[in-house]
Amino acid sequence: MRTLPSSWFPLGALFAPQCTFAELAAATPDPARILFKHILWLALAPAVFVFVGSSLFGWRLGAGEPLRLPQETLTLIAMGYFLALLVGLTSTAAVSRWMAATYGGRDALGAHLALVALVATPLVIASAVHLFPHVFVNVLALIPALLWSLYLLYAGLPTVLGTGPERGMLMASALVGCLLVGAVTLLCVSVALWASGIGPAIGV
Amino acid sequence: MRYHDPVVRALVFCSVIWALVGMAAGVYIAAELVWPTLDFGWPALSYGRLRALHTNAVIFGFGVSALMGTAFYSVQRTCHVPLALPRLAWFCAVAWQLGVAAGGASLLAGWTGGKEYAELEWPFDIAIAIVWVSFGVVFFLTIARRAVRPIYVSNWFYGALIIVIAMLHIVNSLAVPVTLSKSYSLFAGAQDAIVQWWYGHNAVGFLLTGGFLGMLYYFLPKQADRPIWSYRLSILAFWAFTYSYIWAGPHHLHYSAIPEWVQSLGMVMSLVLLAPSWATMVNGVMTVAGAWQKLKTDPALKFIVLSLAFYGLATFEGPMMSIRSVNVVSHFTDWTIGHVHSGALGWNAMITFGTFYFLVPRLVGAPLRSVRLANIHFWLALAGTMLYVLAMWGAGVSQGLLWLALDDIGELSFSFKDIMASMAPYYALRLVAGLLFFAGAVLMAANLWWTVRGRCTVAVAPPSVADAAGAMRGEA
Repeated sequence: MRTLPSSWFPLGALFAPQCTFAELAAATPDPARILFKHILWLALAPAVFVFVGSSLFGWRLGAGEPLRLPQETLTLIAMGYFLALLVGLTSTAAVSRWMAATYGGRDALGAHLALVALVATPLVIASAVHLFPHVFVNVLALIPALLWSLYLLYAGLPTVLGTGPERGMLMASALVGCLLVGAVTLLCVSVALWASGIGPAIGV
Repeated sequence: MRYHDPVVRALVFCSVIWALVGMAAGVYIAAELVWPTLDFGWPALSYGRLRALHTNAVIFGFGVSALMGTAFYSVQRTCHVPLALPRLAWFCAVAWQLGVAAGGASLLAGWTGGKEYAELEWPFDIAIAIVWVSFGVVFFLTIARRAVRPIYVSNWFYGALIIVIAMLHIVNSLAVPVTLSKSYSLFAGAQDAIVQWWYGHNAVGFLLTGGFLGMLYYFLPKQADRPIWSYRLSILAFWAFTYSYIWAGPHHLHYSAIPEWVQSLGMVMSLVLLAPSWATMVNGVMTVAGAWQKLKTDPALKFIVLSLAFYGLATFEGPMMSIRSVNVVSHFTDWTIGHVHSGALGWNAMITFGTFYFLVPRLVGAPLRSVRLANIHFWLALAGTMLYVLAMWGAGVSQGLLWLALDDIGELSFSFKDIMASMAPYYALRLVAGLLFFAGAVLMAANLWWTVRGRCTVAVAPPSVADAAGAMRGEA
């Protein structure tokens, strides 16, 4: 049995998802390797894209001039985004491992981190659209990526974690619930920060 | 002695019709927000009138008919007796449909009390009160005549729905009639606002949450073919839910003329509400986790699984949006619309669809006509809900920032008109989402129609009392 998936396995999600699922199912990945070789970069890329995009062009909200923020604020936002994604991805893997006990999945943390990396990849690639920071264009680009990620989660989880299709469907839905809650948390924390004077200036 | 199921079948049928009417109206007004001239200058097709028809048709037509039907179905089976006063049950079913139909027509004609989710004018308010009290009489008399001692938890939730909605509706509708089509609220100013949102939020709470939890607690164990994961937790969640929900209404009135302590109380109680909401979600998720084998054969269970995920989302998002520093940006934006629909589409509609796919074949003693069609419906409903929520998150956050943007001299940077014009792409996306969801509902209507067509309702007799005691917890 191989203990390591290939270094480019997240990209396999785009071209040959079924083969990638089978490869991960047969492997027992080292958690530290997945974390430093994949998760870290997957969390960093969108933050870099958003920093470059908003520095060069400013955020277009749909009406009026683009919203331009000072470099210090942009750096803070990009760092916050990176940390939020890093915590989000690793905590999703931890939650997935915790849930696996209920749904009869594998216990290996590396497998859960690898699954999260796999599912996040389409969204991270689509986050290149942050280089053109127009809110609607971003929404439009991220929706198909999100659908692809959802497909990878529902189709990949039963194979990668060995739950079987039925329990895999239940576990994937429970994870979707957690991820939606995570997204709302991110949204609400951002808004609360804006209201307290961090980020875009609003008349509160 | 037989259960009175024909009235249940009629209510389910009407609920499906109202789902189609209400969702079609929703899709039409979504299109009007992209192409405003779609009203063709005809007042009955204007956004203001059609929007009220949309909300009334889906909440009171689709939602309440489903709740009334499932309450009548489950109360008989959990009490092991047929419905008390079956003619009164038929009166409730028929009068409710006539009320919603005539009420909907009155909204299109321009009659309105002007209160959100309570737009219908005083003649309808009186009719609703009479039908609702009759519903309560049938339901509670059936419980009073029960053949088994325990009252199963679904009946506690349905009971709370009936009592609290009666209280809210009657108090909020107190008004001075001026003409047949116009009345003025008995309350004035800030008091009127507080009473309205005490009604409005608890209509969400006890109808769209509590009532549907009654549906969940009966139909989930039935579909999973196993008892609820923790019965004790369900009772605890019921009382915590009932106690805390009733205080949460003032979070609709942050930064308004009502006292600040009332706003803070509403916010704190909204946050407290997260605990009982998630207790129920955990109970549901753990119940279904042990019934995974059923997913092989039962398309209905998928809807219930997803409905629990969206229930978790909506009941988390609500308390977060009630925090004043979040609400200051999210209020008066489409984020609120997205939140409402994550609950309405993802939770209420999904659990109702799942329940109907389970219930209708059993009512007529025949398998569902097409499992494949039900599976397609599932993916359409999921895609529609996700797209809707994402589009409204994008629109809402942009709107929140734009409403509050100030220029160098402290004036508002953007006009209302400019901001609304910039929202058109999001509204187009929402229209697509609505069409997907509506298409799924049409498939369900056809599938259920083909399942029941030409078949009689199966006659079912209550089990003997000796079988009943153990059945209450295990098989209720």
